[in-house]
Amino acid sequence: MANIICLSDPHDDANQRLYHGNLPKGAQVIAVGSEIDHFDIGKLKEANANVIFVSHPKSREPLAKLIQQVPSIQWIHSRSAGIDFITSNELSNCGAMVTNAKGCFSSTLAEYTMMAISFFAKDLPRLLKQKHSKTWEKYCVEEIRGKTLGIIGYGDIGRAAGTLAKAYGMKVIALRRNPQNSQGDPICDEVYSNDKTSLCRLVSKSDYILCAAPLTPETRGLIDEKVFSSAKKNSVFINVGRGPIVEEDALIEALKNGPLKGAALDVVATEPLPKDSELWTLENVLLSPHNMDMTETFMHEATEFFIEENLPRFLRNDPLLNLVDKVAGY
Amino acid sequence: MSNTQYWNRETSTIKQYSTPVTQQANIICISDPNDKANQKLYEGNLEGAKILAIGSQMSDFDIDLLRASNANVIFASHPNSREPLKMLLQEIPSIQWIHCRSAGIDSIASEELASSSVLMTNAKGAFSSTLAEYTMMAIAYFAKDLPRLLKQKDDRNWEKYCIEEIRGKTLGVVGYGDIGRAAAKLAKAYGMTVKALRRNPQHSQDDPICDEVYSNDKTSLHRIMSESDYILCAAPLTPESKGMFDEEAFASAKKNCVFINVGRGPIVEESALIGALKNGHLKGAALDVVAIEPLPKDSELWDLPNVLISPHNMDMTETFTQEATEFFIEENLPRFVRNELLLNPVDKVAGY
Repeated sequence: MANIICLSDPHDDANQRLYHGNLPKGAQVIAVGSEIDHFDIGKLKEANANVIFVSHPKSREPLAKLIQQVPSIQWIHSRSAGIDFITSNELSNCGAMVTNAKGCFSSTLAEYTMMAISFFAKDLPRLLKQKHSKTWEKYCVEEIRGKTLGIIGYGDIGRAAGTLAKAYGMKVIALRRNPQNSQGDPICDEVYSNDKTSLCRLVSKSDYILCAAPLTPETRGLIDEKVFSSAKKNSVFINVGRGPIVEEDALIEALKNGPLKGAALDVVATEPLPKDSELWTLENVLLSPHNMDMTETFMHEATEFFIEENLPRFLRNDPLLNLVDKVAGY
Repeated sequence: MSNTQYWNRETSTIKQYSTPVTQQANIICISDPNDKANQKLYEGNLEGAKILAIGSQMSDFDIDLLRASNANVIFASHPNSREPLKMLLQEIPSIQWIHCRSAGIDSIASEELASSSVLMTNAKGAFSSTLAEYTMMAIAYFAKDLPRLLKQKDDRNWEKYCIEEIRGKTLGVVGYGDIGRAAAKLAKAYGMTVKALRRNPQHSQDDPICDEVYSNDKTSLHRIMSESDYILCAAPLTPESKGMFDEEAFASAKKNCVFINVGRGPIVEESALIGALKNGHLKGAALDVVAIEPLPKDSELWDLPNVLISPHNMDMTETFTQEATEFFIEENLPRFVRNELLLNPVDKVAGY
């Protein structure tokens, strides 16, 4: 049996099938809410709630409380890939399995990465300026082929970007916690382990740096002044991981005074980006509102992954897909 | 023609020459003597070859001297080469071979050239990958709504919106030569469906990069327009391709189609393109080439918000013209002086 609590917005379009549609036999949604007050704990215990489906952005507190108050919880599924928004001591210490949407958003973010690279290589800002002033002025463009993409965090998203980069004829170097897992990887020309020296070395060799890492206690503030000052002159920094992995002041400094040529940020430390942030005004920054994986159907697909892949597995007592290492945080 | 007769910058290997020179190359350059990209050529340390003259106007060339020196090769890189070339062909019967530094030969084509018996070669394969990169950028520009991103940045507006995937969409390539194929290769890496239209579809029968290939007739053109989310024109400008993208073609376009041109401007009927961009037949266009270059200031293309314009520079890397000259020096010249088959022969009648 799967008796599901949804820590979600009841009006979330993408979850409608979960709330009202056909679920595998043996599964039912017993409550939908986004705050702890929305739930009748007594009723949840009575109903033997054993699964929590999490999609609401403000789920951290309610989830921690539910874990404490409903001991029958066996499995927590995050609709998104990042679980940094729901981590807590309660989550780390509880016995429940946690799964996420790893792999669901990778190809779109790889597409964004190549667009960000092109934006700077072909000097799109200059093209648009010239169009505005009706100026027909030839200038040299850079090739993407032959350049080096350095990937920090070589998971599904990093690897999808690496695959596209390779198709362009780029050299791909990657940094990950478990470099041995990439040992015969045809996509990756060189793999480094996650230590400061290696990180500085990777950025010193990269024309384009892609951060595709999860936000964990280990990665928070990882990309700091030391790392930026080691970057290759005129390199471009792209972030599709999480804003807090980057020390934003150090990034702004590197954008204003070098060595960075520019940055493309789909994620920032505080979202929405506060209106007084310098990032809005820097000419060499491409900003997107954390939407570069947001297709019309992506959240629907993520919910469907829960319904069609992991829910049946849970009901059959089969191993679940996308198990998260709660201690590592991803 | 065998594949080894064409050169591709991404895949060809440099040949080493050990056989002796069997004929001298006496070269006339229709070029700008100050063109830095040609330095290596002008310096003249060329095995079995000599530069006889460098100029761009008819008055720069001493015909009698050139005839007496047995001029047999013309290297053309100057944009205004058409007239001097015609004259040299008529006046100097010893000319055997003309090499065009660029891929497009439309700027030097003429009746005299087409009916002459000289061999002609060009820079086919030299600029493909950069134009493929531009093609994917143009696709992403519209798929991720880059104009909206930039406007939102200007307004300090953090507003989420849905973006389109490139994966799963269809790219229709009209003119499936080196450039078309390089773009198709990248498109396939993105998980796109690729359809192509070319004069000789049989050459692409077993092409793994191309899901469907059509021949060059009006019905097929309208069909590929109706099936493609993105249309790439990578054709050469020939009498056959001139004006092929007309009102009818654009009217056949799939809803929200984006048109990308890296071929030549005159292949498109520009007023029909502008019409289609204004009335919504096309979602947008990305043009690296236009009918008149530079684009006249009064062209509506400058003002249309759904048009990305570039000044015919999307293949212009810092070294590209230098590499094109090097191709002549390192690939075809050594072949010519050894009487070997030259790479990149051009069909002067077909025009490419």
